[in-house]
This record gives sequence, C-alpha cells and structure tokens, in this order.
Amino acid sequence: MTANAHRPRRATARRKHHWSLHAGLLAVSFFMLVPFYWVLKTSLTGENIFVYPPKLLLNDPHPFYYVDVWYLIPFARYLANSAIVSVLAIVANVVFNAMAAYALTKHFRGRGLIITLLLSCMMIPFQTTIVPAYLITGKLGLLNSYLGMALPTFSTIVCIFVYKASFDAVPKSLIDAARIDGLSELQVIMKIMIPLSASAVATNVILSFIWSWNNFMWPLIIVRDPDMQTLPLGLSRFLTYHENTTGALYAFCVMVLLPGILLFLMAQREFIQGLTSGATKG
Amino acid sequence: MTSTWLRLITHRFVLIPLCIGLTAAAWNGYVSLHDGGLVRGVVLGPGGAPVAGAKVSMMEKNFTTNSDRGSTRTRADGSFEFTNNRSHNILLRAEMDGVGRSDQITLRLYFRSQNVTLDAPLTIKPGAPKNG
Repeated sequence: MTANAHRPRRATARRKHHWSLHAGLLAVSFFMLVPFYWVLKTSLTGENIFVYPPKLLLNDPHPFYYVDVWYLIPFARYLANSAIVSVLAIVANVVFNAMAAYALTKHFRGRGLIITLLLSCMMIPFQTTIVPAYLITGKLGLLNSYLGMALPTFSTIVCIFVYKASFDAVPKSLIDAARIDGLSELQVIMKIMIPLSASAVATNVILSFIWSWNNFMWPLIIVRDPDMQTLPLGLSRFLTYHENTTGALYAFCVMVLLPGILLFLMAQREFIQGLTSGATKG
Repeated sequence: MTSTWLRLITHRFVLIPLCIGLTAAAWNGYVSLHDGGLVRGVVLGPGGAPVAGAKVSMMEKNFTTNSDRGSTRTRADGSFEFTNNRSHNILLRAEMDGVGRSDQITLRLYFRSQNVTLDAPLTIKPGAPKNG
C-alpha cells in the first residue's frame, strides 16, 4: 500500500527531472548550433559577421551565393576529387582495419607489445611524420595522385580498435564452426566478422570519411595540379583569390560541410553503437 | 522477394541518396528546358512612355570584374531582347542619346543562361545615373 502511494509521486519527480534534463540539453544544443546557424544565415544573406547590431533572423534570404560558388569556381571538380579520395579511404579503412583487428583478436606472442605500439603511435602527431610520408609517397610515384592523397588515411588506429571491440564480442564457437566448414581466415573476416559488426563498419565509414573529407595539410603538400585539389584546398584558394565575398565564402563552407553532416545523420545510430560496443563487459 | 526489394529501397542509406539523385536529375531537366539565354525587358522614358531605339547594354558580373557582353536596341514598343546570355549574374543598363541613362540593375539568376523577363522596366532618367 505504502509502495503504491509512493509510486505516482516518484513518477512525477522522474518526469520533472526528465523535462529539466531536456531543457538543459536544449540550451546546450542551442549554444553548440548557433555557429552553424550563423554560417547558414550568412550564406543566405551575405550579411557580414561584424555587422552591428547583430541580427538573429534572416533578412531577405536568397540562394544566389550558392549559384556563384557553383559557377565561378571549379566546385564540381573539387567535389569529385574529394569524393574519389574519400571513397578510396573508406574502402581501405573498412578492409584493412578489419584485417588488423581480426589479427589482434588472436592470442599470439607479442600481441600485447603490438597493441601497446599501436596505442603509443596514436600519440604521434601526423605533422611529425610528414617528411617520411612525403618521401615514401614520392618513391612510390604517387605524388599529385588520388591514391597518394588517400594513402596516409588508409588505416587508422582508432578504427582498428573499434573493429577489435566488435570482433571480441563474436562467439569463438562461431569462428570455429566456420573454420570446420572450410572457410579461410580471410573468408571468416568477410563472411562472419564484418556482417556481424555493422555498427563498427558504420563507425569506420563515418570516421574515415570525415578525416579524409576534411584533410587539408596532406593534400596541400602533395598536390601540385589545381585540377587535383580537394574541397579544403579549394576553400583555401577561394579565400586567397577573392576577398570581399562573405556570402559566397559561407555558402562554400556549407557546401563542404553538407556531405559529412548528411552521412553522419544517416548512420548516427550505427556510429554510436560502434563507438560504445565493447565499452562494457558482462 | 518483393518485400526484400521494398525493404532495400526504403532503407535510409538507399532512399536518401536516391531522393537526392532524383532531385538533381529533375533540376537538371528543368535547367536544360529553360537555359536558352533569353533576357527580355522594356525600356521606358522619363515620362513613362516606351522608348524606341534606346541602347541596352549587358555585362557579366564576376567576383572581381565586370565583362562587357554586348548591347542591343529597343523596338518600337520599347521592348528589348538578348539571346546570348551565358551567365548567371548580369548587369543591365539602358541609355538614349540626348535623353539620359537608366540605373544599372543587377540580375541574379538561378542557373546559367536562364530565360528571364524583367519584372520592372528600365526607366531612363535625365541626369547622372546610379549604379546598382
């Protein structure tokens, strides 16, 4: 009886807490989304960011800055270059990281050392390895090429561990059964591990896409031909050539951001699952 | 079998790119039907009457430069027509010897060579013109 009397009060308290939590989250979201809104607003109005007093609402919006960007700079070319490099990086990450992660699920001598090595390599910034990376790419004859641009992003350690966490959750008996059925190690990865790790694949796809899509420094170093430039390089070139183009510049930013945001929104559920899988045991 | 296809097509990874592709195809179809490069309008005199024989100049506007893209003369009813616009951002101005010039107007289009008819006439004013 007493427990029943307490139940509605507890439910009301929980609901109140629920609403206060949502209000807090909304407030945080507002502050995080304001810069994006500002970029979008400026791309549609061309209003300078330093205008005083600042206007929160759109005043006479139009899409003509997007039309300017599409026609006055080789945007389609930059987009195609970025897309090719990103697709190469995604495919390589999904395949190579799965192979590396599968190897790390095995018990062999020196496994701990390799894991420690990989984890410690994560602390080395890419900038410190640029010179050897450039020399190797040059020796391979891949300077100023799509493959050369994608090569350093072919495998990322974070993504290997995302896969590893997912592969560790696959029952060993399933792998043994596959082996008894005559599957090779590569077939076990492709036919058993990857289909059972959809969220890890989605995380690999999103992370490798975003890193490759936003990569600025490496393409800047190895690309010489303007026709091979990717979107971040195009944005930088646009800034150098045209000074008084606030609206077009922001429209360009939105057009660069849009594919990444779209991909994330499409795969966010799997992405979050992929990052959290293996986080808890038992 | 049908349900498998339906499930595949309605999956968000297929449906969203498909919608984007269809929208792009429809837009390109619309563009190809309306990109004749026609720019039409009317020129009026200071008194509001149509002006025949006025010179209308067209310039292509770039981020940093304006390039001359030719001129035409108005007909007896004051109307004019360009058939060779290849830009999405143009400037138009009308002038008549001995009368004056109109304000320079900027015409922004949704795509290159879009067929367009001016909403408002170009009105020739005596005295110094304004550029816009």
